[in-house]
Amino acid sequence: MSALVVLAVGLGLPGLLPAVAAAGRSPVVVFLAPLIGAGMAAVAALIELGVPSSLLVNYTVVAAVVNLAVLAWWRVAGRRAWRLTGPAGGWSAAGWSAATVVVVAGCVAIPLTALRAHMIGWDANSIWLTHALMVYGGHHQLVTGLQNVAYQFSNPDYPPLVPASGALAFGFHGLSDLDLAPEMTVLLNACALGAVGTGIAAAGYGTGFTAGDTGGRWPARVAGVAGAGAICLVGFAVSASFGVEGYTDLLWGAAAAAAVIWGLVLPTSPRALAVAWAFAAAASLTKNEGLATTLVLLVLIALRYRPLTMPGSAVRNWAERAVFVAVPALPGVAWAGLIRLLGIHDAFFKSASGESLVTRAEATTVGMAAHLAVAPVALAALLVGGWLLRGERERARLGNPVWLWISCIGSLAIIFGTYLIGGLEIHSWLANSVNRTTIFAQVVLYSELAIWLVIAADGAFARGTKRVPEVISDPDAADTSGAEGDYTYGRPPVRR
Amino acid sequence: MVAVRSWGDKLSVSLSERSRQVSKRVCCAGIVVAAAVTLGLSVHHGLQHTATLDRPSNIAADTTAFHQEECLYHAIRSEVPKGATVYVTSARWQYTQRLAELSTLWAVPQPTLATAQWRLSFVHARGHCDGLALKASRL
Repeated sequence: MSALVVLAVGLGLPGLLPAVAAAGRSPVVVFLAPLIGAGMAAVAALIELGVPSSLLVNYTVVAAVVNLAVLAWWRVAGRRAWRLTGPAGGWSAAGWSAATVVVVAGCVAIPLTALRAHMIGWDANSIWLTHALMVYGGHHQLVTGLQNVAYQFSNPDYPPLVPASGALAFGFHGLSDLDLAPEMTVLLNACALGAVGTGIAAAGYGTGFTAGDTGGRWPARVAGVAGAGAICLVGFAVSASFGVEGYTDLLWGAAAAAAVIWGLVLPTSPRALAVAWAFAAAASLTKNEGLATTLVLLVLIALRYRPLTMPGSAVRNWAERAVFVAVPALPGVAWAGLIRLLGIHDAFFKSASGESLVTRAEATTVGMAAHLAVAPVALAALLVGGWLLRGERERARLGNPVWLWISCIGSLAIIFGTYLIGGLEIHSWLANSVNRTTIFAQVVLYSELAIWLVIAADGAFARGTKRVPEVISDPDAADTSGAEGDYTYGRPPVRR
Repeated sequence: MVAVRSWGDKLSVSLSERSRQVSKRVCCAGIVVAAAVTLGLSVHHGLQHTATLDRPSNIAADTTAFHQEECLYHAIRSEVPKGATVYVTSARWQYTQRLAELSTLWAVPQPTLATAQWRLSFVHARGHCDGLALKASRL
């Protein structure tokens, strides 16, 4: 209960205004606000590492600066920026939003019942609780602690989002309950999964961020909300106990998956982009593999929003793409850079492995494949859906599924490469970690299934015989949506 | 050029178009079923796992382990002066790591015995922290 209060008051409240600025009235605000708060706490820890200071003071300053910046932006941007967009359609849309929040919150609450047991996993203790105590102790404790060889086992270069959130909880309640830090991690896991869920629901009823994105018919909306709830339970299912005992793999995996859904799947808009950036930044500040995956995602998001075929000055276009990657990646990259400046490294690459690359590659392939059983089903859905429902997907303005698959394969390739060149004995390394390092890929693939579920639900219940008179200005362009004659979908055909 | 489709053209649905729509709906239903079953199986697995974790025996075991950790955390703070340099060592590496973790913010773990003022280890003992006790010896 104490952790929930810290999540709501300590992280959610300072993150609320930026979350509303980014996402308007979308249900994702409920889950985005605490993650923005956690991101600000991570930036505060980054400052603590570099400058003699304490987390609480830094956090207060960072939260105040961010909130003032949002207010200043709103003032400069004028009334248009104040307009809180969300799912279009009045009370009906408000009802779908409310249903999404209730279903998603209810579904993430079920696995959280395990918090009664005070489970603290091995890494939750040896890495995250240890780092949270160091962050709580202030600049000197943090720097000397991370540089202390006796703490080498705790992978001292890991990013600060989770330790900062735990330290913030200790700042609120003191050190009387060590379970607070792992509980904060579990609650942040739930928020990240909630963000994935609300993204899937938005694929059903529309984000409302742009005029044309008004959502599908009721079967798609029902499927979206059901898929939203399901993905929250699936996220905890693929994480097994790691999701509820203070491990952070689900947090970076789900935050990165949320960035995929909001940045690469949902219709393009400035608000969806801002939401995706926020989740990408959270993933990059959670774990090293989260940072590597985030860089891939940010490149893909930049290419989706600023495609290579974009007209105009090439220099300007490439500069914009670079900014699209650099801005959200800045906190994570700054942490990684500062840590290396201080001479801090993890234990994965300290020594060369005696095993051959072939041995390591074989073991890694087998190990990873065992946790990607969903991939064939998702691939089948992609092939059938891509063949038959491309028009529906385009009319819904959802991104090309290839973006999602590239992000998934890119992340897996990075993790595969890490296992390949790392120094630890491969079989024990895989046994201890591959079920966690594949969580992102699993959540993304299950999300892909849920998205196709939404599109197919709409297609399966389409009333194909009802037609309306239509004026077509260009007969050749009339069927660019790919579904001839089905004008009852509720969205105008979109040419891309 | 502006072309206007008449109601008559719109309402005349050819057989081939109808059969295409039927096959499309069948495939849509197939995707819905495949996705729902796959997601449902995973949800079921997750709920089963949560139910396992929620068993009273599991909760009792995890709560005991947590209390043991808190007990050892407080033992370090009561037996070792604040700021002391300590060398942590135990028969099991897990205990050694745990000692370093629980010393954080109170004592300063040292990589070697040479610079340490205290030597800490966990030993099995009845009546202490659920089967473990802190052994702190001044060097």
